Amino acid sequence: MGVITEEARRWAEREYPRFEMQVTGTDIAKFAHATGETNPIHFDREAAIAAGYPDVVAPTLFPYVVRMHASALVPPEQLEADGSPRADVPPLPTRRAMAGETSVEFGERVVAGDVITVQKRLAQMYEKEGRSGPLVFVEMEFTFTNQRGEMVARESFTRIYR
Amino acid sequence: MSALPEVGAEAPVRARTPSALDLFMFSASSWLLHRIHYDTPFTTEHDGHPGLLIHGPLQGVYLVQTAESWLGETARLRSVSYRHLAPAYLGDTLECGGSVTAADDDGVELELWARKPDGTVTTTGKARFETMTTR
Repeated sequence: MGVITEEARRWAEREYPRFEMQVTGTDIAKFAHATGETNPIHFDREAAIAAGYPDVVAPTLFPYVVRMHASALVPPEQLEADGSPRADVPPLPTRRAMAGETSVEFGERVVAGDVITVQKRLAQMYEKEGRSGPLVFVEMEFTFTNQRGEMVARESFTRIYR
Repeated sequence: MSALPEVGAEAPVRARTPSALDLFMFSASSWLLHRIHYDTPFTTEHDGHPGLLIHGPLQGVYLVQTAESWLGETARLRSVSYRHLAPAYLGDTLECGGSVTAADDDGVELELWARKPDGTVTTTGKARFETMTTR
């Protein structure tokens, strides 16, 4: 029994490279407009300064953008036909991936000019028997820090493969 | 002293109906390349969905915005968790709301949700906000 092979476990437990993103006011404004933010502190530098910030401030969930770039900013030949990064596809006999729970804790805010580093590691991997076959849960933990080494966010994200 | 709402208080419901342009902008700005959010033929013919999917993380943002726009500058989001219960497609309206489930000296805990007008809940979440004492 069990679909999590040694190979799958090695794949999940491997060491992931740290990824660094120089966050510009443009990156922040794009995400703010894409999500319908109306507070000008997210796209107008003067409004952000008037509100007491050194520069444009990122919306709270912006660290998500950093972790997506960390996994998907690769040459197109390293992407699957559906657009997902090949390096994220586990060696499992499953066909579909679904998003499970996302849980984020926040520290310092992200401001334009910050250099955010994200480090990913496996938190846990386990399987359950679902109605239509095995379900494999892969929970990854992402730690985001800024250029001063301060914690910006810690996110745990579970993907379910079936 | 705190101006935070009491247990049981409800956030005003915000209805969100993201357009194809909104979905594309979310994919582009976050570099989320999955085709089921912007490539209709791939999504319907290859993946068998009725239409483009509204991103789970975008729904997470909607939940956070519902709470943040309600609590304003009085409190800051400390933590949030959410999960998806049903898919949401382009054209769907998501009514996003929430209520206070616990309150203490430092802040409040909320439950948050996004649901379609027919009552189908697509995403549920929990959040903790704390009062801004220093800044």
